Amino acid sequence: MIRSLIRLKSFLAPYRLRLGAGVGAFGIARFFEAMVPIFVAIGIDRMSAGNADMTTPLLGIAGAVIGRYVVVTYARYSVRCVGQHVAFDLRQALYESLQQQGVRFFTRYTIGDMMTRAVADIGLIQRLIAMGTILMVILVYATLVGFGFMLYLSPSLTLLLLPPLPLVFFYASWSARQMGVASRDVQNRLSDLGAHAQENLSGIRTIQAMVQEENEIRRFGRTNQQYANAFYRQSQINSLMAAWMPSLAAICSVTILGYGGYLVLDGAMTVGELVAFFMYVNMVVQPFRVAGFIVNLFQRAAVASDRLFEVITLSPEIADDPSGTTPATIRGDVEIRHLTFAYDEGIRPALDDVSLTVARGESVTIMGRVGSGKTTLLKQLVRLLDTPPGAVLIDGHDVRDYPLAQLRSQVAMVPQDAFLFGEPLGDNLTYDDPGRAVEKIWEAATSADLKETIEEFPEQLDTIVGERGVTLSGGQKQRATLARGLIRGAPVLILDDCFSSVDTETEEHILRELRRLRRRQTTILVSHRVSTARHSDRIVVMDAGRIVESGTHEELLARAGQYAELERIQREGAVDTDYDLIGATT
Amino acid sequence: MTAASQPGAPERRNYSMFDAEISGAVLNLALLRRLLKWLRPYRVTFGISAVLVLLASTLQVLMPIIISLVVIDHLIRGETDSLAPDLGMVELTEWLADILALHPLMAACLLYAGLQIAWAAAGHAHRMTLISSVINGLRDLRLDLFRHLETRPSSFYDRVAVGRVMTRVTNDIEALYELLRGLGSLIGEFMPFFVALAIMLAIDVELTLLLLLALPVMGSVTFYFRRATRRLFRMVRMSLSALNQNMQENLAGLQVVQLSERQQYNLDRYTKINEENRGHELRTTRFETLYGAFNDSMAHLALGVIIWYAGGAAVQEEMTLGAVILFTRFIDMLFHPIVVLGEQTNILFRAMASGERIFQALDWDEKIHEPADPVTLPPRLQGEVTFRHLNFAYDPDVQILHDVSFEIGAGEKLAIVGPTGSGKSTLIRLLGRFYEFDDGQIFLDGIDLNRIHTRDLRQRIGVVLQDFHIFSGTVFDNIALGDPRITRERAEEAARRVNAHGFISDLPRGYDTELSERGQNLSQGQRQLLAFARVLAADPEILVLDEATASIDTETELLIQDALRKLTAGRTSIIIAHRLQTIQEADRVLVLQGGRVVELGTHEELIASEGLYHTLHSLQFQDEG
Repeated sequence: MIRSLIRLKSFLAPYRLRLGAGVGAFGIARFFEAMVPIFVAIGIDRMSAGNADMTTPLLGIAGAVIGRYVVVTYARYSVRCVGQHVAFDLRQALYESLQQQGVRFFTRYTIGDMMTRAVADIGLIQRLIAMGTILMVILVYATLVGFGFMLYLSPSLTLLLLPPLPLVFFYASWSARQMGVASRDVQNRLSDLGAHAQENLSGIRTIQAMVQEENEIRRFGRTNQQYANAFYRQSQINSLMAAWMPSLAAICSVTILGYGGYLVLDGAMTVGELVAFFMYVNMVVQPFRVAGFIVNLFQRAAVASDRLFEVITLSPEIADDPSGTTPATIRGDVEIRHLTFAYDEGIRPALDDVSLTVARGESVTIMGRVGSGKTTLLKQLVRLLDTPPGAVLIDGHDVRDYPLAQLRSQVAMVPQDAFLFGEPLGDNLTYDDPGRAVEKIWEAATSADLKETIEEFPEQLDTIVGERGVTLSGGQKQRATLARGLIRGAPVLILDDCFSSVDTETEEHILRELRRLRRRQTTILVSHRVSTARHSDRIVVMDAGRIVESGTHEELLARAGQYAELERIQREGAVDTDYDLIGATT
Repeated sequence: MTAASQPGAPERRNYSMFDAEISGAVLNLALLRRLLKWLRPYRVTFGISAVLVLLASTLQVLMPIIISLVVIDHLIRGETDSLAPDLGMVELTEWLADILALHPLMAACLLYAGLQIAWAAAGHAHRMTLISSVINGLRDLRLDLFRHLETRPSSFYDRVAVGRVMTRVTNDIEALYELLRGLGSLIGEFMPFFVALAIMLAIDVELTLLLLLALPVMGSVTFYFRRATRRLFRMVRMSLSALNQNMQENLAGLQVVQLSERQQYNLDRYTKINEENRGHELRTTRFETLYGAFNDSMAHLALGVIIWYAGGAAVQEEMTLGAVILFTRFIDMLFHPIVVLGEQTNILFRAMASGERIFQALDWDEKIHEPADPVTLPPRLQGEVTFRHLNFAYDPDVQILHDVSFEIGAGEKLAIVGPTGSGKSTLIRLLGRFYEFDDGQIFLDGIDLNRIHTRDLRQRIGVVLQDFHIFSGTVFDNIALGDPRITRERAEEAARRVNAHGFISDLPRGYDTELSERGQNLSQGQRQLLAFARVLAADPEILVLDEATASIDTETELLIQDALRKLTAGRTSIIIAHRLQTIQEADRVLVLQGGRVVELGTHEELIASEGLYHTLHSLQFQDEG
């Protein structure tokens, strides 16, 4: 646990002075607080002696209270600020590290997991600093200062008060552990409940169509009852703690009452001192109540710290290490030489000895069933995967020798998954270079057949897309990502199955545009449709990571292989085009 | 109400209520009263809890009395004419000392320990009885709410976001748990407050009133602080959620970010939001720490006031020393409730808003009206369907179906085609009575649909919708859907017939494989086949199918076409068709346009008549191959 927390040292270092000042100030505050019982005792003893002059006790108490308020406020503020600054720095570090991760990282971690680390784990560290430190410092100081003052008043009574304290401490940490388990159970049950309701209501039409309402209500009733049970258990532990803690502390009170009362009767102690003892015990025991909470906080923060550093210390997945000998402008000759690539050791390679040359100005369509390696091949060209040395060359230079920024801006890839950011549509289209002229955006939108769609929105290019704005259809999203690729006018354009949700007529239009615009540039695309492939200069069919057929539409038909079979099936019936879309235009 | 007396004409409802944030709610007594209705079944437990809290509060007050009035006044100082009410504790101590033959000081210690144990036990019993009645009441409320939502009609779910509705079942009920727990702890704080106050007043009215003056000061400082921080907290929350949203989106689109080399630009933007958040946090902290030590300080200052006031009183023998000390011991009981109240106000306001949202959902009475005396359907229907002069509108201003009339014979396979928005989906939804209609009629084997209970009706119609839903559970659960008649063999047989058995067997645990919520571990085509298996196993008399439009790889497509053929064999089938093959295999084709039936006949007849169907067909399919 300690080692995990020590890793935070570098993040705490810049704020060590402020943290130290805060921690020190808490000590002074306890001292002020300990003065109050002394003045109360003086007052009571004066009364007891028949002296009605209360000026000293009153001024003493007021002074101690004001002093404590000022110092405590300062101390809390400084420590909590440190917590906030550290949280800020951790977030920055996490964000920076995550931006350099790639495919390999996301096969191991999910976005949800990363968000938990960013939100819950950083929150825990912040709480550890802002609350854990304060509570622990209070616990230590209160014990030291409280016992110091008590020892000064009566050493023998003070020593008698020591034995119950470990008991309080151990009970507190034991019940905090119990509490931790119970709370996690409640949290889990609550998320079960949420998942159940979410799933149910999103499938409400199916449930009603299948007359499953009563069944589902019964099932929900069970989840609901489990939650209630978990909540009851948690409340029980809570309530028992609220009963036991003061009872254990009462051992001290009874000791003071008995032995202290005897001392007073014996004349060895004044009544005022007896009252002061009650106040000191309270001061010492109060922080002990949260001892378990503190232990728990430290443990959880240690786990959080490990989880955060696991990500923060990752090195970038793809090293950007340009040789400096590559040309500043890519012309567009692509060569793949005996490329073999596996996502992990020991599993079948996703690409198996693939060789392919695409000359500048050529257009090539890659076909093949799901999992045949098409996307993996495309990703190698822009180094979204760690391309082996010497396997992929552009204009005769290894892709690994180009600066990453240059490679990815001159070899433009439009990925399969049509992802748009929740921002204005215009900003999405010029995502790589926000400074582009508006005319450029409209040009690209026209080529991607998106112009009319944009014009239908009242806000046009300023329309916010996504959850918080307009929801685009699958086809519209695909055309938008296409436009985002086209706008870059890159020497090499890579389209990974970008027409699957676009109807054939629109696709024809876009392909015509592509041919017109990119006559002298290289275009590589992946498609399932023969109608897309037939227009390209060359068609490559992949199967199980290998290239199995290659040639023009006519050549491949003549070969009567996989391509010819696909062509036959698609021609004869199961046409995956949408009747609706065509209907709507008539 | 029957369908006849309550016309199914669409009502105008304000669905936006479900999107609006209810905020700034105030203490709403009507709402609390309504909430109490759910606690009524547990009122006995609740009552016991109330008695226990009184007992615990009294015991709590007795302990300081032992210290001050019994030990200090009586035993140490030998006061005899104390005016302070010791509630019989002096006599009790003496009695204990007598019968146990103990020194009175030991007897006082024993009594103190006994009171402590009794107080702890009574407090625990009070909390558990209170909590158990609350937990049970809220469990019932949640289930009632769920039942209510589960039975709202499609017209409701067309208009509201599922996420919004769901949070009523989860977060809003959760807020009520918090509220009732908070109220519970408030009761636990206020009871000792009143008991202590009564004793203090009995000892010295003037000093008590003087101390009470602090309460309005603390109260208003707390109130001012809470109001001011509510706004600050909202800023913190908003900036934090912007921060998280930014990171989430950046991660989701990381590939695009990297392909566009936007890392630095995005980091700069994130830094700005992060700084903004830190600014709000620091401002809030400054404010919070200023308030943080205020209430403690007031309690300590009150000690000074007691000493200062009592100094004179004690010397003039108006107050005994023990009474002064009792006052100092009561300070916490006097001031703590205000602190707790301050802590609870935010929860209280949040819970009020949640309560309003819950009852708003419970009051939403939109539903499908069932017939007063529903017709009992025969064990097996023929499957003849007749639409007669059917008109329909979701929104009174926009008529969707116009005078739709046609018949489908028993066992016939009808394909419906038409442009988007022509009313195809509406037509099949009305057949399952997912919406109410009264202008025109639909007959099933000659029985008016509005005279059949929807539950009976839907058991006879198998529906495969486009947004097909997979439930978490095993593959088998998803086929059987809790129908006890569907055995494992029957499910497997159905899956085999619709070509789903192959991929199911390939799953790690076959039919026992757990499927995830949205069926992400299945492909689009596999989900379609699973839906077919579900319908075939249920063996309904009528099949309604909205053919999926999404692109599916060619091999799976062939499996689906084959399965569809088996599914429709000998069964009255209505298919919203998107694929040429499906249309060609139908007995007849119905062409809808603008909510009207424009053509109806066999594929060949319609091609020959050279109408709309012919145009659509030639545009779409003639130039293929």
